[in-house]
Amino acid sequence: MTTVVRLDNVRKEYGDTTALAGVSLEVRSGEAVAVMGPSGCGKSTLLNMIAGLDRPTSGSVHVHDEDLGRLNETKLALFRRHRIGMIFQFFNLLDDLPALDNVALAAQLTGSRVDTARQRALELLDELGIADRRNVYPAALSGGERQRVAVARALMNRPGLLLADEPTGALDSRAGEQVMDLLLDLNQIGQTLVIVTHDERLATRCASRVVSLADGRVAGERALERA
Amino acid sequence: MSAVWRAARAGVRRRRVQTFVIGLVVLLSTTTIVVALALLAATSAPFERSFARQAGPHAIAVFDPAVVSPDQWAGLASPGVAAAAGPFSAVTLQPAERVGPGPRGPVTVVGRADPGGPVDRLDLWQGRWPAAPGEIVLNEPVHELFQDPGTITLDGTAYTIVGRAHALSGSADAWMTPAQVTALGPDAVQMLYRFTGDVSTTTAVEARLADATAGLPTGALEAAQPYQVVRDRIAADVAVYVPFLGSFGVLGLVVGIVIVGNVVSGAVVSGYRHIGILKALGFTPRQVVAVYLLMVSVPAAVGCLLGTAAGSFAAQPLLRDGFQGMGLDPGVGVDVWSLLAGLVGVPATVVLAALVPALRAHRLSAAEAISAGSAPRLGRATRVQHRLAGLRVPRAVSLGLGLPFARPGRTAFTVVAVLLGVTTVTFATGLTDTLVRVSAIEERSDGQVAVQPSNGLIRLTPDGVPPPAGPPVTTSRTDAEVSDLLRGLPSAARVAALYRLPVTAVGQTEALDVNFMRGDYATMGLADELTAGRWMAGPGETVVPSELMRERGLALGDRITLRLGGAQRDLTVVGTLMDGPNGPPGILADWAVLDGLDPGRVVPPHEVRYQVQLVDGGDVAAYVRAVQAADPGLDAWDTAQVSDMLLTLVGFSSTLALLLSAVAALGVFNTVMLNVRERRRDLGTLKSIGMTPRQVVTMVLASTLVVGVAGGVLGIPLGMLAHRVIMPATAGASQVALPAAVLSVWQLPTLVLLALAGVVIALLGALVPARGAARLTIASVLHNE
Ligand SMILES: Nc1ncnc2c1ncn2[C@@H]1O[C@H](COP(=O)(O)OP(=O)(O)OP(=O)(O)O)[C@@H](O)[C@H]1O
Ligand SMILES: [Mg+2]
Repeated sequence: MTTVVRLDNVRKEYGDTTALAGVSLEVRSGEAVAVMGPSGCGKSTLLNMIAGLDRPTSGSVHVHDEDLGRLNETKLALFRRHRIGMIFQFFNLLDDLPALDNVALAAQLTGSRVDTARQRALELLDELGIADRRNVYPAALSGGERQRVAVARALMNRPGLLLADEPTGALDSRAGEQVMDLLLDLNQIGQTLVIVTHDERLATRCASRVVSLADGRVAGERALERA
Repeated sequence: MSAVWRAARAGVRRRRVQTFVIGLVVLLSTTTIVVALALLAATSAPFERSFARQAGPHAIAVFDPAVVSPDQWAGLASPGVAAAAGPFSAVTLQPAERVGPGPRGPVTVVGRADPGGPVDRLDLWQGRWPAAPGEIVLNEPVHELFQDPGTITLDGTAYTIVGRAHALSGSADAWMTPAQVTALGPDAVQMLYRFTGDVSTTTAVEARLADATAGLPTGALEAAQPYQVVRDRIAADVAVYVPFLGSFGVLGLVVGIVIVGNVVSGAVVSGYRHIGILKALGFTPRQVVAVYLLMVSVPAAVGCLLGTAAGSFAAQPLLRDGFQGMGLDPGVGVDVWSLLAGLVGVPATVVLAALVPALRAHRLSAAEAISAGSAPRLGRATRVQHRLAGLRVPRAVSLGLGLPFARPGRTAFTVVAVLLGVTTVTFATGLTDTLVRVSAIEERSDGQVAVQPSNGLIRLTPDGVPPPAGPPVTTSRTDAEVSDLLRGLPSAARVAALYRLPVTAVGQTEALDVNFMRGDYATMGLADELTAGRWMAGPGETVVPSELMRERGLALGDRITLRLGGAQRDLTVVGTLMDGPNGPPGILADWAVLDGLDPGRVVPPHEVRYQVQLVDGGDVAAYVRAVQAADPGLDAWDTAQVSDMLLTLVGFSSTLALLLSAVAALGVFNTVMLNVRERRRDLGTLKSIGMTPRQVVTMVLASTLVVGVAGGVLGIPLGMLAHRVIMPATAGASQVALPAAVLSVWQLPTLVLLALAGVVIALLGALVPARGAARLTIASVLHNE
């Protein structure tokens, strides 16, 4: 199995706060890794490092054999565009675009023509069971629907790595459940997954491995036997 | 209160850029407003104000010293007289023929002990008042040119010029000590009066003067000059500037107010989220309003103070150049009202602009305020975005194009700012172009080289050039020989001779000045001055300057019958000229008409002015030297010189165009900055899904493109309209009509460039915040929001 993500002794400091205090971690292709730990322990920061949303203070991050430290801002953007799909706790949809255009946007940024992009977006929404909501604006969607739109957007450019930061954190249990199933399905067809979560249930259901963080360090790791 | 103060201070600290922008915008706007108002104020009644400042006399009365004895003045306190100065003795002296600046013709010298007093307070702007015999002060408007004191010879006696003072009233040409004037044997006694009550008409002034001098022997009053004489002369000069300054003034005022309003209210609107948090913390609505007013007031106050100072500094040279030459004292500088507008009006605008959105925040609940803080979601904006999403342009561009619709009010204000900026630039460009064309036509029709044979008394040189050394010599050539000489010198292409002679015209009470012209005058460019009709086709026709047409009630097709000696000749008016040849306006006639009227007439060469145009690329300086070498009795000079008025007006318009463009660009800067701040979360999202820095910049710039194009498209016609209306109005004020060619200055390339001006103003303003947006660290945005 090839290594998709490799972190070597990554530190991240924000002024006096040390968010990550030397984290080393590997994620292999097809894995679903859950990152857990108390609030403020550095989970989101870790995810941001992998996504190239922020740069480590020291240490190195390799994703798909790219050393992110050597990429400039534009290259990083292109890297995210093609290699990474991200899902956030609060969805981060653009409020002035309907669901379909929110999803299509990810492809349009790469230069895809609008009809091609909308076509693929529609297919994804259909697969996620919300094709009928395509013309609805985020404000009028339920939380679960919004998160599914966000998942569709993240999958738009067929990323090798899907990163999710508390994807069920803002959802009620039923909607959370649906999103969980979705992620599980994705992983089962080979999608590599890193999920940050507080939710033990989400972790045990979706992940093949759980990494625990505490105070910016890896505190433990356990492999899970999945159903 | 201290909680409010602390919150405001924290707010200011946290938004350094915003605070700086508010300060800078207020500063620049205040500068513009103060300059604009100073200009407006200066054009409205500049004479009245200067005159009031000097306590100028409503009437200058001149008495015969032989008829009125000194003690007769004592009992003359008339109830209609508010103040009087005098009696001052006056004497008229003859100056030696002077070269260079200074009085020509008889000089009225008045004996006065001091320049102050209840009436006619002189502005002693250089040197000191005469204290001893042999000392003199000249009446001259403030002017840098008259720097060195020097001497002046009057009636054969040399006097030391110890100072220069200016009396707008023109009550004297020069002043000496009373004792000195008495010693010279005064030929008149002068009284200066200010009256109470109605002095609006010359009749009223004369009636009051009659009351005031009723007790004097008949025949004592030799002459009287009501102040209206001077006023009307100056008013005509100032009128030229009024349309320009007025339009620039209004533009400056409006742009200043629009931008300040936009920036300040934008600051408050973008602070709604913060307001919500303050409310959640337990601030009362009133305290929240206070916090926001304080936050904008601090930078605004600094901006106002500095801007008022900068404005009055900037206005000074403009006003000085524009008005001092006309004899209006530098007191027409920035007036109290303009300063008050800067110091009180601008802060009031700021408070008002902040108050409206702050009061809205007052009503918002904490939760509403927090959600109103991010960009609003409007039905219209989303519809626009949806339509744009389908456009076949890069997605970053279509996203950007939709941004302005999310904040229509803010966008509208920004468009107005850019629009007015473009209007100003357009107008200023057109104005400059027209003025340059006018002066090019005039220069061409004056020939490139002017030649004037000396009369043996004085030598002629263009303004500001010292005359050649040595006594003037007269030429031994006749008029015709001078023409031949000029024609024969190398590089001469066209030579014309011009002889001005007042000629009686049948049906006209005053003689008409006729410019008899000979040689190549028809092809030297005067025809470009035609504003109506056509050029002369033969000696039976004439073209007339527009001013003269109006003054003498002439119309195209009219016949003018000139009478000289016993002969008479008819001329038909076939065309109107902008202003004709140099000098007082006169009709144009071929020299053949003069020969017909007075065949034996010998015209002395020194009464003729010759104009020469050179072949393409001819060396003007070399030609001038050649003329002087060939005949030292001929004064020749290069006619090319930029007129003061041209420089002043171009200076005015460029300064304001620049200021307004800067203010407009700052307005755009601010708008984009606020938009970016409100859209930080969206930006973070977009970047997280792979928007490159370049795409971010493209998106933000595209959002201002809408503003720039809208401003450009609307601003250009407005500027063209202003040019269309204002140029002829200005010309009309100075009694001339303009040829159509100088008004049609708009060509496609210019218009395209101007349209780009709007875009450039907008893009310049947007560049910095756009790059800021591109550099936002996504992690921290998403972490904080
Ligand atoms: N952009 C930032 N600027 C300053 N400090 C930050 C930033 N991002 C994170 N931190 C700090 O770094 C530490 C780790 O933050 P992080 O968001 O990674 O925690 P987390 O494990 O995701 O917590 P939570 O479960 O609450 O989301 C925290 O102390 C946080 O305040
Ligand atoms: Mg987190």
